[in-house]
Amino acid sequence: MAGVAAFTGAAGAVLAAQSGPEIPSIDEFLPPEIIFAGTPFAMNRIIMVRVIMTVVMLLILGITASRAKLIPGRWQGFVEWGLDYVRDKIVYEVMGELRGKRYVPMITTIFFTIFLFNLCGIIPGMNIAATATIMMPLIFAAWTFVQYWIAACREQGLLSYLKQECTPPGVPFPVLILLVPMQLIDILIIRPASLTLRLLANMIAGHLIVALCFSATQFFLILTENKMMMAAGVVTFAFGFIMTLFEAFVAYLQAFIFATLSSVYINMSYPEVD
Amino acid sequence: METFAESKSGIALFLPEDYDIIWSTVILIVVAIFFYKFFLPKFQAIFDERAAKIEGGIAKAEKAQADADAAKKKYEDQLNTARVDAAKIRDDARTEASHIIADARTKAEADAAQITANAQKSIESQQQQALVSLKGEVGALATALAGKILGSKLSDADVQSSMIDSMIDGIDKDPAGKAK
Repeated sequence: MAGVAAFTGAAGAVLAAQSGPEIPSIDEFLPPEIIFAGTPFAMNRIIMVRVIMTVVMLLILGITASRAKLIPGRWQGFVEWGLDYVRDKIVYEVMGELRGKRYVPMITTIFFTIFLFNLCGIIPGMNIAATATIMMPLIFAAWTFVQYWIAACREQGLLSYLKQECTPPGVPFPVLILLVPMQLIDILIIRPASLTLRLLANMIAGHLIVALCFSATQFFLILTENKMMMAAGVVTFAFGFIMTLFEAFVAYLQAFIFATLSSVYINMSYPEVD
Repeated sequence: METFAESKSGIALFLPEDYDIIWSTVILIVVAIFFYKFFLPKFQAIFDERAAKIEGGIAKAEKAQADADAAKKKYEDQLNTARVDAAKIRDDARTEASHIIADARTKAEADAAQITANAQKSIESQQQQALVSLKGEVGALATALAGKILGSKLSDADVQSSMIDSMIDGIDKDPAGKAK
């Protein structure tokens, strides 16, 4: 950014059409409604990406499942590996098999969907994560929220759960005055809000960085006439390339974190056993 | 940079549009139904079937292994029994053979002794016979001879018998070989 500013200051007169690279902004995440504008079923660019990705996912996984054989081929083996991974490394790892069995479908749905929606951010033509508006992470977080309250009421009763969460044993009374409201805020607001914001912010930040890199690359390599800046373009392109790969990793990582924390929150609703 | 100035307020990012709510919910429901009702049960069935197959295969292999082990043990036992039997038969045969040989030797020795004894007896009796007959013949021969030589000069019986006796003594002192 500093380099861009210096450049525009020094050689501003040389530039023809544009004074600098197009800086991506949060407007990209508040795109105009494209179809059904004005109705409750309006779609903007991100929602279209989301719907398309859903259809693609259902088609691919649906065909995979309907053609699933006892002896898996390469692709089926890969999908099964993903299923095993969510079940063993996320759900059973956190809850154990006994509690976890009930939640395997939920966590699998969350992991696969969030991962593929996140990947949209680096798929050419989509270029924006389908989880990059507030509602998609929020609805997943809401699902987790509902599930851990249900689990609490079912497994130990609401009062017992509140007692377990708000008044840990061994805490003296004066501390409880602070602790109880904090814990209540935690289980009512912080948990779902942190799930939502972590995912949303990661997707927004990742997109902004990648978009900035490639926007700068385009500016330095194509739009500007100053050949000295070509080198900067090469650097920004390399950085954008690396960040794109990094975004693929973040897509997985955020799906993993979301799925793991959902498991953890649900697991915390169960009564503590020694 | 002017884009920042034109930007909508950042807070808008966190205020969901009503269509965002609807589409997110619809998509979650569709995806969840897909996973819960179709995708995961389908794969669970595959996993279960595979596990059953593998377990069945393992059980089968274990049974085959056990059968093979039993058969092997049976054959080995049979082999051992046969080996023991053979050794026993060999020992029996050896014992029997030595018995037979010993019996035969004893019998042969007894027979040989018998034969030797019989031969000895027969020889002795024949010798006796020969001696007796020789005595008679020699006496007669000598008498006849002496008679012929001396003519009738030897009519005295005493002279005659003393002559015969002294002749026989001479024959007795000769070796047996000459008598034959």
